[in-house]
Amino acid sequence: MTARVAVVVFPGTNSEDETQRALAATGVEAEIVHWSRGSAALRAFDAFVLPGGFAYEDRVRAGAVAAHDEVMDAVIDAAQAGKFVIGICNGAQMLLEAGLVPGTGPLRRPTAAFAPNAGGKFLCVHTHVRLAVAPERVPVLAGLAADAVVPAWISHGEGRLAAPEAELDLLERDGHVAFVYCNARGERIVAPNGSARGVAGLTNRDGNVLAIMPHPERDAWTFMHRDGDPDKAAARGNTRAMLAPSGGIRFFQAFAAGLTGANVAR
Amino acid sequence: MSVALSADELRTIAEHLGRQPTETELYAFDAQWSEHCSYKSSRHFLRRLPTDGPTVMQGPAEDAGILHLGTWKGDRYGVVIAHESHNHPSQVVPYEGAATGVGGIVRDVLCMGAEVIGLADPLRFGRLEDPHCRYVAQSVVDGIAAYGNAIGVPNLGGDVYVDESFDDNVLVNVVALGLVKEQDIIHSHAPKNAIGYDIVLVGKATDRSGFGGASFSSLTLDDADAEANKGAVQVPDPFLKNVIMRASYQVFAELRKLGIEAGYKDLGAGGFVGCSAELCAAGGVGAEVELDRVPTSQADLPPAVIAIGETQERLCWIVPPSFTPLLLAIYNEQFSLPRISRSAAAAIVGKVVEGSRYVARHHGEIVMDVDLNFLTGGVRYNRPYSIALPNAARPAAPLPRFPNAGVALDALLAHRDVASRQAIFQRYDGVVRGTTAIPRGAADAGVICPIPGAPLGVALAVAGNPRYGKLDPQAAAEHAVVEAVRNVVAVGARPLGLTDCLNFGDPTVPEHLGAMVAAVDGLAYAARRLETPYVSGNVSLYNQSKSGRTVAPSPIVACVGGIDDIARTASMAFKRPNSVLYFVGQPEERVGGSVYADLLGITDALPAIDYDRVAREIELVLTAFERDLILAAHDVSDGGALVALAKMAFATRDDARIGIRLEPSPLDGRAGTAAFGEACGFLIEAADGAAFLTLALSLGIDVLRLGETTAAYDFTFGDVERPLDALYETWSAPLRDFYAPAPVAGAA
Repeated sequence: MTARVAVVVFPGTNSEDETQRALAATGVEAEIVHWSRGSAALRAFDAFVLPGGFAYEDRVRAGAVAAHDEVMDAVIDAAQAGKFVIGICNGAQMLLEAGLVPGTGPLRRPTAAFAPNAGGKFLCVHTHVRLAVAPERVPVLAGLAADAVVPAWISHGEGRLAAPEAELDLLERDGHVAFVYCNARGERIVAPNGSARGVAGLTNRDGNVLAIMPHPERDAWTFMHRDGDPDKAAARGNTRAMLAPSGGIRFFQAFAAGLTGANVAR
Repeated sequence: MSVALSADELRTIAEHLGRQPTETELYAFDAQWSEHCSYKSSRHFLRRLPTDGPTVMQGPAEDAGILHLGTWKGDRYGVVIAHESHNHPSQVVPYEGAATGVGGIVRDVLCMGAEVIGLADPLRFGRLEDPHCRYVAQSVVDGIAAYGNAIGVPNLGGDVYVDESFDDNVLVNVVALGLVKEQDIIHSHAPKNAIGYDIVLVGKATDRSGFGGASFSSLTLDDADAEANKGAVQVPDPFLKNVIMRASYQVFAELRKLGIEAGYKDLGAGGFVGCSAELCAAGGVGAEVELDRVPTSQADLPPAVIAIGETQERLCWIVPPSFTPLLLAIYNEQFSLPRISRSAAAAIVGKVVEGSRYVARHHGEIVMDVDLNFLTGGVRYNRPYSIALPNAARPAAPLPRFPNAGVALDALLAHRDVASRQAIFQRYDGVVRGTTAIPRGAADAGVICPIPGAPLGVALAVAGNPRYGKLDPQAAAEHAVVEAVRNVVAVGARPLGLTDCLNFGDPTVPEHLGAMVAAVDGLAYAARRLETPYVSGNVSLYNQSKSGRTVAPSPIVACVGGIDDIARTASMAFKRPNSVLYFVGQPEERVGGSVYADLLGITDALPAIDYDRVAREIELVLTAFERDLILAAHDVSDGGALVALAKMAFATRDDARIGIRLEPSPLDGRAGTAAFGEACGFLIEAADGAAFLTLALSLGIDVLRLGETTAAYDFTFGDVERPLDALYETWSAPLRDFYAPAPVAGAA
């Protein structure tokens, strides 16, 4: 049976449609679920994706109010039960504010922050990310090759990971740093948003929850790729290839593969 | 709050009513008869613009126009476009003014039953060396970013010009695009047989913000007034708008499912009464409304404020009563407006009635009872105008020269109208919705692929050069049309249609009105010659300060292009070394209004436009795209051909790093005007040089082979060889610190 994934929409979410499309393209059943349906409606789902946006206007801090929403109770319970949860951009901020990543402290008492970008302003730039841990460390993305380079867009104002140095050391040592920023060749780069240690994504202890700041769903079809991309160059004049999923879709394919694997294991 | 109505207008109103107007009526007339709402000084000139053509699905009669994009899976898709200015509010309260400008234009598109799919923002700033101008510019960008990013609509294009004429009057134009299937279009009028239908107000609770905005936008600004008028600027709430948009999409889906026809319209200038009156007048019906049923955020708002105030994030539905419960449930329960924003709601506030009277009650008392046609018909003025003849004198020969071409290139790249705008547009989310194929800055037009799975693409570009406007408003308008059209052609898109926003000074001054009339004539002529109609537009007058400073005549144009196959589009970035570079166009002889002329103080006429040739060049480029003969294309504009070539190379800086070697040609930098003239054509990186040349010759167009792309990241022409990294630095530096404080005046 296909896994059912809930794409959870809070007031102010703005990336639910493209996130749902990217998931659907991998063969999973992805359904957009609005906040007004409450946490009860979410409990029937196998996995959860929290998409990007500005939930509750990012009051207090990005993701902070949503992390305390009643809807989030269902997500937290699911994460603690070992179900897969991904947060992208604003969703990543929510997972951090909910204490699900890095998960080194109590719930809803974050031990790190996605702070305002270096430069203090919203930034929209293309980038790449790659795994900073072995794929086995993150079962939620178990399908991702160790050296896979995933293209994505930074579109956020608050994506700079900030934490005390000792905490950052701990996060690196214990494999909580799931993704780092890199160039198209996979070489690490200084994070465009100034994120500490070049961190683009975090995971929890069990690797079933993943928070990633840049958006792979915004570069998940060939036509979306930037100019220098070889897939896009090859697809010039080829409609089918240009409209095919590629690039950032690998992130969602890895999630779908992990989901299938997890279902088999159960 | 004072009213802007003239004594004559007040007399006309009293005579029509047979009594003095009530306070509510007075403010209603003040708004509806303002320049902003009624176009009283401009309307009869605007009739000169061509508005018909095979691509037009909806012309300029409603809140937004609609252009036919193409057919997919049996459905005819339309691109909705609206274009407005928010100049006065942005000068006085720049962050809120610019943000609410975006908010308003988004509602204009939304209310056509469309999904909002893109934004663009032509901006005209005062000198950035001045601390206040810089603050205004920064805050405008912040406001646009805050609003557009939060509602989740990608910013696809726009431009920024800097000129001293904008020191006291910033220009903030906003363009929004939507997508709608032909059968799902919702009109801005009461539908057929609407007697007894409910009038439902949706959105933010009404408050005191934005009271008197329409008439404020129709007055000359001065500093004292500006302070007093801050209350006339609305307060943006993109968070609430995000939810209202999504709830409205749900309503559209339900209407489709049930086959119900409804009316939907944005509340803009003139507030609730303005909107509901126009809905009913356009549908040939009357209205009875109860102002006390309008949700408000504070008790005891006077009826005039409820009726006319321009509180943001509100729209008005006219729906059959059988549908009303579902409508209310979608907004108030499924999307829980009252829970997420204090007192926000959808509420029934009135009924459609027979006849043509608009009757408003407040706690049972009639506060307004007017004939709708009289209220919304407005007044018309035939004001005197005079059109100044442009100075077409030839410049003195010989022209002043740069010491050498390398110096010229540096000076051009660092010019305030050429330097990289990246620091600005990186603030805008250009990729939300996951439809962006060519983001802003990567080509002359932004391109999206808005229908999942379909190969149809939409291109959007703007144009309007204030350096040209100052010299010759009519020619500037023509150039704006030609450049906007070329911009979409440069990404392989067929031009579908245009919008225009006329930003001018005081229409009671004959010279200023004359500049606007000349611009309208230029817009009309160019559009006719290029067979591209206008489907929407806006007029913003009184863009001047009490000190007498008036904005450069600024006809600003947006062009929507349609792409049949998203696999056949291209950005301006060079794709590979050793491909042939062609110039499609005629090297310019006249350099008036160019950056080159600005730098060297040359006075000259604007370049002439050979429309037959322009049309054939467009045909060549589009045919070459169809045949996969183009790897990269770029329109020559500010700074001329060498600057345009450099920008094609800059776009490869982070990956392929492809340079340029030019052969000796009229563009080699020594001939001056040929290299630095503007508005003259396209630069093409050909996929197959010989095939491109053959195609051009077969169409009777002589193209100029300029040189080749190179693996070395240098720009080589004539005796100049410059590393592109150094040129990139020159181009990037001026606005990189856009957000830093203004440099201290007088400092080196």
